[in-house]
Amino acid sequence: MKKYSILMQREFAIIVALFVMLIVFTIVDPIYISSGNLLDIIEQSTINGLLAIGITFAIITGGIDLSVGSTFAIVIVTVGNMLKAGVPPFVAVLIGLVLGYLLGVVNGLLVTQMRLQPFIATLGTMSVYRGIAYVITGGWPVLSMPSTYRKMLDGDLIGDIPVSVLILFAFAFVGYIYLKYLRAGMHLYAIGNNEEATRLSGVNVDRLKTMAYGVCGVGAALSGMILLARLGTGEPTAGQGYELNAIAAAAIGGTSLAGGKGSMLGTLLGAVLLSALKVGLIVAGVDTFWQFIATGLIIIIAAYFEIIQDKIQVAGYGR
Amino acid sequence: MKKGILVLFIVMVLSLPLMAQGAQEPAPESKYTVKLMPDEPFNPDAADGYTFEEMRSELGPIDEFTDSVRLGAVAKAFENEYWRTLKEGMEVGAKKLQDRGYDISVDVRSAQGEGDELGQLAVVKDMVNKRYTALLLSPISDGNLIPGVEDAVKANIPVINVNDGIINIAPNFVGPRAIENGELAAAWIADKIGYRGKTAIVIGMPKAFAARQRTEGFETWMNENAPNVQIVEKQNADWDRAKAKDLASIWIKKHPDLKAIFCNNDTMALGVQEAVNESRKDILVVGVDGIGEAYDSIRKGEMDATVDSFPYYKGQVAVESALRILSGQELPRVVWTPQALIDSTNVDVPAAEIIGWTEPEFK
Repeated sequence: MKKYSILMQREFAIIVALFVMLIVFTIVDPIYISSGNLLDIIEQSTINGLLAIGITFAIITGGIDLSVGSTFAIVIVTVGNMLKAGVPPFVAVLIGLVLGYLLGVVNGLLVTQMRLQPFIATLGTMSVYRGIAYVITGGWPVLSMPSTYRKMLDGDLIGDIPVSVLILFAFAFVGYIYLKYLRAGMHLYAIGNNEEATRLSGVNVDRLKTMAYGVCGVGAALSGMILLARLGTGEPTAGQGYELNAIAAAAIGGTSLAGGKGSMLGTLLGAVLLSALKVGLIVAGVDTFWQFIATGLIIIIAAYFEIIQDKIQVAGYGR
Repeated sequence: MKKGILVLFIVMVLSLPLMAQGAQEPAPESKYTVKLMPDEPFNPDAADGYTFEEMRSELGPIDEFTDSVRLGAVAKAFENEYWRTLKEGMEVGAKKLQDRGYDISVDVRSAQGEGDELGQLAVVKDMVNKRYTALLLSPISDGNLIPGVEDAVKANIPVINVNDGIINIAPNFVGPRAIENGELAAAWIADKIGYRGKTAIVIGMPKAFAARQRTEGFETWMNENAPNVQIVEKQNADWDRAKAKDLASIWIKKHPDLKAIFCNNDTMALGVQEAVNESRKDILVVGVDGIGEAYDSIRKGEMDATVDSFPYYKGQVAVESALRILSGQELPRVVWTPQALIDSTNVDVPAAEIIGWTEPEFK
């Protein structure tokens, strides 16, 4: 891995972008910088952030998971129904996590065993999983979740810090350690860079890839269960289109869709940046139509930044 | 060898339509003449019309009618409770007519989700090809069913546009005055907050006619009748609960003295209510549609009100209107269906009593 100055790192660029945004939106309306609003930004980034962290694992291996929004919905309605049936919240959450992992593993097996392209395989499961969520509920929402469950996942823990934010940070932290310090994490990058070479060097590529999709499912499960706690109602329609927001957060954070590149911190910052933008535009009272344009432009600028970075590095090595 | 298989395959594919044509019975010709409305903007709120009571008093009882009637209805998406209830209403409407001896059936289908505009068109085209007697259509957007309606009219199949979604060329429209949704909500809120204070609006999807009219009805009523009520925020949340909640929690911090939030539908209102609960403030939340969850929320003392347009009865009025048209009665372009504001005072009153529902009369 090349070493370069901190100024050239993607994470640094996002932090700069966040500060610029903070200043601009605070000038427009000082309420933006209030602690309550800043907390809102982080809290509203949790749903997308958890999905994005999961999807980063799949993308690093050179894959993609389009089914996260549908996995999200299955977990929501299943956990919701279990809670209604009186299953203790803690048990329901555990089952939800296992379910998310298994749905992810199915994607992984389609990719590694049936050799389907990840885009196609998960495009298929996106539809299948969504259908299952409808079948489970008959289209009806699952109503009135017990308050014990809601407090467990979406209450406040220390002072005003929401549990959901801690879950996001914990998930990102575990992912960070895994990718940065464990051998398996390095192998994931290696698979994304050159799958055949990695296979030939004796790494069990199929198992690692399947696991990466499993992690993706766990992210979707966590995200879904938090939304269920936040709204107190689970709808089988939940999460439609969320996969694209998650991919956007990962891409802004420097994850390359070609694989082999990406970091937990980058993805986390990417999700926070999108949330800060969204909240800022709402505070400023900007029409939602413009919010679409702004989000798209940020993705394009972030991608272009990547190219400039590479150019400067190549020039530097040429000298 | 491979080439041979390919040729065989092509021949088979090409012969399919021929076989299909041979197998198909000639579709029965429709005995109606249906005319398209001019292709210009159409606002049913401002058009000529009857309320459903007027339809009955002006046109009298439903005629005797012995033809076999097969109605085809296309809703937006059954994931949404509103459309499931409308479907139920149409089926109940048809059942009641069957019990009176009419040979009538209704087949209610939907698109695959509210984003599936072309899929919905395909369902309509299929119904036209199968020569349903009349079509009751609720398009996803104002434009997506236009080609299907043109085909239907060519085949002389009467088309009734059932709220919401506007088909400007359809000869008939059945639905509530959407603008009145917003007016009822505005009047109720103004009264509760003493005609003074800050309010906000959460809009549905801007492409939807209902969202535009509900918002406009609310704003216009406030401007004309309650000049001291300010509408300080107005954004859309795409009918989505989570988006509406996020929006509201930001607004509540930005405007600590916010008095009321009007949402274009109940799903969003329920999301907004969550944000209000968290803020522990006393902010009025009013939605539109009258879904079961909103009723429960009002009973629990959380949401404050909803404007119900009673899809269960709307479906019945739609079927009744279709039968009247088929039996040769002259209907105005629009039939307005009932709506009412539901709050803690009337949440347990039966809907039929609130809207004064009566069964249609027969000759």
